[in-house]
Amino acid sequence: MSLRGNCLIFVFFVINICAFVNCDEGTSLDSGDQVRPDSPGLPRVPSSLLVDSFVPLSLMSSFPEDLEISNHCLELLSIFSQRYSDYVKCLVPAARPVRVCTKCYSGYGSLLNAYMNISSDQMGPSNESCRDSLMRSDRLMLVYVLFSNMQDLWEKSNCDFCITEKFQGVNNETTHFMKNLNQTLSCFEKYQQGNHTELCKNCKSSYKGLNELYSSMEKTLCIDVEDAMNMTRILWSKNFNCSMPRGETVAVIAVSSFMLFLPIIFYLSSFLHSEQKKRKLIHPKRMKSYSSLMNIQDKRS
Amino acid sequence: MSNITKKVSWSSRGDELGPVGEGTPLLNGSEQPRHSRQFSEGGSLFQIDRLSTVDLEEEISAEEESARGQPKEIPHNSKLLSLKYESLDYDNSENQLFLEEERRMSFTGFRCLEISRWLICGLIGVLTGLIACFIDIVVEKVARYKYEAIKQNIERFTEVGGLSISLILWAVLNFSFVMVGSILVAFFEPVAAGSGIPQIKCYLNGVKIPRVVRLKTLVIKVCGVICSVIGGLAVGKEGPMIHSGAVVAAGVSQGRSTTLKKDLMIFEYFRRDTEKRDFVSAGAAAGVSAAFGAPVGGVLFSLEEGASFWNQMLTWRIFFASMISTFTLNFFLSISHNNTGDLSNPGLINFGRFESGVLGALFNFLNYWLTIFRIRYVHRPCLQVMEAMLVAAVTASVSFTMIYFSNDCQPLDSEHAEEYPLQLFCADGEYNSMATTFFNTPEKSVRSLFHNQPGTYNPLTLGLFTITYFFLACWTYGLAVSAGVFIPSLLIGAAWGRLCGIWLIWADPGKYALIGAAAQLGGIVRMTLSLTVILVEATGNVTYGLPIMLVLLTAKIVGDYFQEGLYDIHIKLQSVPFLHWEAPATSHWLTTREVMSSPVTCLNRIEKVGTIVDVLSNTSTNHNGFPVVVQPSKLCGLILRSQLIVLLKHKVFVELAGSRLTRRKLQLKDFRDAYPRFPPIQSIHVSQDERECLMDLTEFMNPTPYTVTQETSLPRVFKLFRALGLRHLVVIDDANRVVGLVTRKDLARYHLGKHGLEELHLAQT
Repeated sequence: MSLRGNCLIFVFFVINICAFVNCDEGTSLDSGDQVRPDSPGLPRVPSSLLVDSFVPLSLMSSFPEDLEISNHCLELLSIFSQRYSDYVKCLVPAARPVRVCTKCYSGYGSLLNAYMNISSDQMGPSNESCRDSLMRSDRLMLVYVLFSNMQDLWEKSNCDFCITEKFQGVNNETTHFMKNLNQTLSCFEKYQQGNHTELCKNCKSSYKGLNELYSSMEKTLCIDVEDAMNMTRILWSKNFNCSMPRGETVAVIAVSSFMLFLPIIFYLSSFLHSEQKKRKLIHPKRMKSYSSLMNIQDKRS
Repeated sequence: MSNITKKVSWSSRGDELGPVGEGTPLLNGSEQPRHSRQFSEGGSLFQIDRLSTVDLEEEISAEEESARGQPKEIPHNSKLLSLKYESLDYDNSENQLFLEEERRMSFTGFRCLEISRWLICGLIGVLTGLIACFIDIVVEKVARYKYEAIKQNIERFTEVGGLSISLILWAVLNFSFVMVGSILVAFFEPVAAGSGIPQIKCYLNGVKIPRVVRLKTLVIKVCGVICSVIGGLAVGKEGPMIHSGAVVAAGVSQGRSTTLKKDLMIFEYFRRDTEKRDFVSAGAAAGVSAAFGAPVGGVLFSLEEGASFWNQMLTWRIFFASMISTFTLNFFLSISHNNTGDLSNPGLINFGRFESGVLGALFNFLNYWLTIFRIRYVHRPCLQVMEAMLVAAVTASVSFTMIYFSNDCQPLDSEHAEEYPLQLFCADGEYNSMATTFFNTPEKSVRSLFHNQPGTYNPLTLGLFTITYFFLACWTYGLAVSAGVFIPSLLIGAAWGRLCGIWLIWADPGKYALIGAAAQLGGIVRMTLSLTVILVEATGNVTYGLPIMLVLLTAKIVGDYFQEGLYDIHIKLQSVPFLHWEAPATSHWLTTREVMSSPVTCLNRIEKVGTIVDVLSNTSTNHNGFPVVVQPSKLCGLILRSQLIVLLKHKVFVELAGSRLTRRKLQLKDFRDAYPRFPPIQSIHVSQDERECLMDLTEFMNPTPYTVTQETSLPRVFKLFRALGLRHLVVIDDANRVVGLVTRKDLARYHLGKHGLEELHLAQT
């Protein structure tokens, strides 16, 4: 039932939307006269402002006013644009070392908010939905594409795992991790000069603590934590060369060569001591030669 | 005339019982006609008339006797035929009982039979799938425990030192698992050793391998395979699956288990070799399809390797069984864990096919000598167990050493999560890439070689891995553990295929891994048709078909130039009288006269019980089929040992028939109830009085056995034998008198060697 039911509902929904859009266009064209009295009274500043900054005026062509977008929607659009650029401005510097989640979560939150306002179903003052006029009027669907890019980025970086709900702030786990990370890094800084063995010895406890904390955290982590840990690990094992030394080569070689030696003894001893398995040959009964055949025939006759 | 002969024979019996060999006179000029009944046969014509019951082993033809005077003993080699192996009765005995039963059976009866055949095939599929599923899940679960434990241990000791302890832990774990598996195999059921494919091949060819399709074998096989895979040996669980499928088929189709002494009283009609064989080939197909997820490949495997006898209806049924088996496996596995590791990659042709054939041949060559050594020297069960344990320990320590000294570190990747990443001396956040190949069950390693992105392995790692694994796998195959060779050879091939792929930068090394795997496997087992289809099905990509086919073709041609396929080698080393597709090429000049055994032990149509008992209990000539003759020596039928034993057991004597008229007549059912384990003649008691009774064989013998004349050439006889699945072929002269008998061993002893046609020796093993 459920699947078919869903399908039906979906089909219904699609039909509805089509009908809705068609009828919308129809009304706006047919009953343009009724809407017009409202529109001239409103200032048209935002639209010209937005367009002016990108396109020379001479290329601008104007539509009949009833096709233009309402001020309410333009306002929403400009808010979206503002927040979008803010967010991107925050993101780019946070690319390396990666801090896209911890630094820009609020930007994403407000962007999401602005987008929600555009895409929501609720009607504006002039009883129209900005979702259709801003997002669905052309095949480019710029607003939608721009936002979904950012959304992808957000999801790919798993930021939800280190931000509290409703984008209030960084969650406790991440803060705790970052605090430990800072400790470790400051320790690294302290001993960075001179011999690294000193560093390896002194920072080992804090590094190990960080490592353990990291592995005790959840399986999916936001990119900030992951990247910070990776960098620390690279610092630790590559730059400072604090990995485990290969210390017991002799013991390992001894044990394994002992193991390898056992089969040789085994095969030698079984070769020398075990008696070889012999097969007794059996001679089948045959008519061996032609002479014997002749013999038979002689006898037979 | 014949009476005189009989007397002579009986009187001479006592004299001849002593050791033979010292100066038996050449009896060429003997006056006795050779068409008399012979209770035992002399070694050659010179001894024909001795009519004695002396041990055959002691008997030597006159020439050799004079030369040596001692029974000849030679060390085991591949040019022997063992007396141990009997033939199966694929030819239906159309005796009067059979005809009677057929008359009584109604039309619906036949319909029911057909339906129950389908039913059995379905059951075979389901059960095989379930067994595969069971093995898979158990191996996965237990292997996880094992590897997790070792991993933790290694992690602990990497820091504080003492990695040699981890090495010992790993070795001991492997050691103990393999010990359990090996003890099971060596002491309880030696026939469960190895992959079982050679045995099934022999069975379908018509050779009765003792105990090969018993329930006990199945249980030991399944446990053994689980133990040896978990024990970290270089083995796979695919080959044993085929054997398991075959055992399931043989068990289900009989509707009873002699091991458990349970008889469900169903499917009684199928209790004979012909029907059982068909089901066993279906079972083998189901096994393949469960092992590789390749139903069509399974059917073709049965066709190529197994079923020597084939028809369309059977193919269709086998296909059904395979499909059911794959489906069952997939169904239950998807319940157990919700991901199916499918091997899907688009295709490409590679070079390096030549090497594959050579590598395969080298593998087979090494394994050949190792097996000979094993048969000659390591034949006691406890020695076999020890050997298996040693191999396990060495495998562990070699793997560990390789991992220990490997410098190949790769970053951890969340997408291709390695199951047991070992860090060891790598930088934090990286894992040892050697460990992904060694520190895993072989199937998982193959999968990672096929699928991991380019750059996962560096060439040195792969090269070392290939070499090590090659020798390990070669060493492992033929141990007294149940284990297959499919996965190890796939693994070797995949490793060097990937190596080629890395050098050829522009291609995805995963594809080369697949091609390499195909080439290596083809080089070792020398299957062509079924292997191509299996691999195509396993990868789920038909476009791969041509490259794989070319590679397999080349591998086979190159490999055959050096050495036979691994399974054939093992069949040969077991001294099995195996009939290949064709008679040896240059054998047309051989006539039946030279091939056949002669003289023949014949029985009269109305025979004295005492005589029959004596013939049957003669241990030296363990004959199974006896031509039935009417005087003078005219062939009128053929009767089998098993039938005679049932007759003796039920005391179907002419004298008794008169006295007990009320007694129920012997039916075909009585023969079926005794199948397949007919009691030995020693267990049947025949009193002195009964010995004097007579038995009428007319009703029970096969009245129309296949016959040939003495002049028929070997290839002709061979073709007849092979195509009809015969067990005995009576050779007659122009007067329809029995001259000789051709059996499987007479035909199988000819083979084409390096110096033309060679003859294998019969030997007791």
